[in-house]
Amino acid sequence: MRTSLVFKATGFIVVLGAWQLLAGLGVVNPFLLPPPTRLAGAAYELITDGSLFRHLAASLERVLVGFLLAALVGIALGVLLGWSRLVSDFVRPLVECLRPIPPIAWTPIAILWFGVGNAPSYFLVFIGAIFPVFVNTFAAVRNIERTQINAALCLGARPGLLIRDILIPASLPIIFPGLRIALGIGWMCVVAAELIAAQSGLGYMIQQNRVLLQTQNVVVGMITIGVVGFAMSGAMSAIERRLVPWSQAAR
Amino acid sequence: MTRQLVIERVVKEFPARGNGAPVRALEGIELEVQEGEFVSLLGPSGCGKSTLLNIIAGFQRPTGGRVLHEGVEVTSPDRRRTVVFQDYALFPWMTVQQNVEFGLKAQGAPAARRRDIARGFLALVHLVGFEERYPHEISGGMKQRAALARALAPNPDILLMDEPFGALDAQTRVLLQEEVARISAETKKTVLFVTHSIEEAVFLGDRVVVMSARPGRVRTISPVLLARPRTPAIRREPAFVSLVEDLWESLKPEWQERRTDNA
Repeated sequence: MRTSLVFKATGFIVVLGAWQLLAGLGVVNPFLLPPPTRLAGAAYELITDGSLFRHLAASLERVLVGFLLAALVGIALGVLLGWSRLVSDFVRPLVECLRPIPPIAWTPIAILWFGVGNAPSYFLVFIGAIFPVFVNTFAAVRNIERTQINAALCLGARPGLLIRDILIPASLPIIFPGLRIALGIGWMCVVAAELIAAQSGLGYMIQQNRVLLQTQNVVVGMITIGVVGFAMSGAMSAIERRLVPWSQAAR
Repeated sequence: MTRQLVIERVVKEFPARGNGAPVRALEGIELEVQEGEFVSLLGPSGCGKSTLLNIIAGFQRPTGGRVLHEGVEVTSPDRRRTVVFQDYALFPWMTVQQNVEFGLKAQGAPAARRRDIARGFLALVHLVGFEERYPHEISGGMKQRAALARALAPNPDILLMDEPFGALDAQTRVLLQEEVARISAETKKTVLFVTHSIEEAVFLGDRVVVMSARPGRVRTISPVLLARPRTPAIRREPAFVSLVEDLWESLKPEWQERRTDNA
């Protein structure tokens, strides 16, 4: 475990070392790609003056609101369409038409509808995150084994109990990877939204520093996005292992 | 003795696939089952015995005829008729204990009572000490014991068992047959037991209903005149051996025919 952790860190260290070296030798333009030492200094300043955390908090709040809405609606829609073929035949073509539209393409209309602020970000995260949740939930509900439903029915389960104790838990091992993907996409969407339609957040911070020609701050913002995204994915996996301990072994 | 289950001229037809003719899975099935009786449904695969069980459970509706449970037509699943499935169908996200409690939970029984009843049935199937395990942590034989306890816990009138030991190895199978013989005697449940093993059908049943395929129909009904409780020694009794042989002789032509069909 320890060795593998050291091994995993080696990649970072090698890349950072080479980067620093190339900048020191003057091979890369330090304005276009500031060396790690300058980034560390910039990060220190952005942390100490509180602006990095302020922007990070704004982005996190937006992604969480949009993601939770998407999870709620996506799971409900997936269960409904997975359960009822009639509703599915009616709604599915519409959903499948909306799905290929990239969230970025929704940005102009989102600004027209919601103006500038939190609302367009919520909306864009929602648009980006809902489809993976929906698609996985739908597939999960469609693929539930008939005998498990029959077992529950002959034991006297009524619809409420059937959904809560059978349908949802049986689907969770497939819903969870959908949620993890959705959160990743939502995180990308929030940054994209903030580049254009917000006055705070990591995306806004990057955009503003580009205008001010503060490249080191732009790169610090990008790295923060990467690290936080990685951490969110890890957190989702940990939650998944806690909530669906049977999923690895049972499949 | 009362007629607990009456099957009247049950027909089941499945719609055609492509432009073929519809498939007739069951043809005019007639059967009466007394309260407390153990009936084995024996037949080759494809004879519709599982379909018949599904209709009795209420999972499927017959195309014609009807099934009466204490005089009332069966139209949907009901906890007075619980099912033990071949692939166990335990809920993998629940512990053994929670699985067994599920039927009681569906009835709205309070938690303490659920726990006590489930514990009792887990003791009956010899699963004490495995209450907190998940299904993927126990063996196939133990899973089927758990599934049996789960089916018995809501106190059904009739226990429907659909080739419950089909996925188990031969030794486990024999042990579980003896367990079922003991448990059905202790609980005095009416049992309908689907199997394609002649020995199993004879060992467990008060009567063996032999079905034939295409379309599935009742061919013969043989009473099993062996004492209860059924113990392992019964397998060596002349009455057991000769009934198994008679059933084998009567089934052999069809079994052979199916084999050449499939080859």
